[in-house]
Amino acid sequence: MKIVLRIVLAAALVALGVWLWTVLFPSPEKVIRRRLIELAHTASVSISDGDLVRLAAARRLASFFSTNVEVNLELSGLPHQNIMDRDQITQAALIAHTRTVKFPDISVTVAPGKQSATADLTVEAEISGEQGLVVQEMKFTLRKIDGEWLIVRVDTVRTLSRGRQIYPRHFKLCTVAGSFHS
Amino acid sequence: MPRWVSIVVVGRNPRATLVRVTVLVVTCLIVFNFVLLPIRVEGISMLPTYKDHSINFINRLAYLRHEPQRGDIVSIRLAGLHVMYLKRIIGLPGETVAFENGRVVINGEVLDEPYEKTACDWNRPPVKLGPDEYFVVGDNRTMPKELHQFGETSRDRILGKLIL
Repeated sequence: MKIVLRIVLAAALVALGVWLWTVLFPSPEKVIRRRLIELAHTASVSISDGDLVRLAAARRLASFFSTNVEVNLELSGLPHQNIMDRDQITQAALIAHTRTVKFPDISVTVAPGKQSATADLTVEAEISGEQGLVVQEMKFTLRKIDGEWLIVRVDTVRTLSRGRQIYPRHFKLCTVAGSFHS
Repeated sequence: MPRWVSIVVVGRNPRATLVRVTVLVVTCLIVFNFVLLPIRVEGISMLPTYKDHSINFINRLAYLRHEPQRGDIVSIRLAGLHVMYLKRIIGLPGETVAFENGRVVINGEVLDEPYEKTACDWNRPPVKLGPDEYFVVGDNRTMPKELHQFGETSRDRILGKLIL
């Protein structure tokens, strides 16, 4: 009985050690995932918020991107937009009316050297004054710069290729009820 | 605890009840995660076939034995399984698909679409589908074409078929 107890205790200790290790030294994938969720949270600013709050959020949002970031946006019903630096992101964030932004599906692939990674994700956003949700598949390319994972490139993925661009409120989408995203 | 309460909660044979509950939970987890995905429909592009906020299921095993067919209503994945498009297949691999005055034209012939109740005026030049491509569109063609997401998608994006 004593041996069994010791084995159980040892197993529990090993499990605790492994858990602590993953908490203290998270994998790049986990770090990137957490960072992207934080990005979505930062991008969720209501138009009713004060100018200072919006400016702070826009600056914070820009800090997720590298200085020479390239963003290729082909959003519904809008002309193709190409953002080439961080200041433009701040400007774009200031005029965007996103109430909530979520990334319900994030799939991260870290390159062998663990210095760069790509994240395929679905953007789900609520826009002030619009009914329904904006849904768009995007691809983020990240690079580890000065120990921090920064977004260096954003591309729009056209799920239905050559399909007409539309206003998001008319998107037909469905949510897997088994894993509701709040 | 009174005996009748105990019987109601865990049954006359608690061990058998535990086994039943475990089997039920495991079965539900497997079925609703890998076979029948429960979904909630959002949006109006599949009206009148599917209403906004309706509940349905996607059969992920529908295309194990055969490939998607014309007329099937399928789910198309984006980056994952939490958000998907719901569309009807109108064009199959290798076909040429066009819209002419609201009518779907496949390889030069007008497609009969009994599910389309109202006329529309969509026009779109012909597009030849690749060997692995399907043309999908919503049923609500009364909305402007520019406001409707439709087009070609690859086979690997088609997750399954709606069952209800």
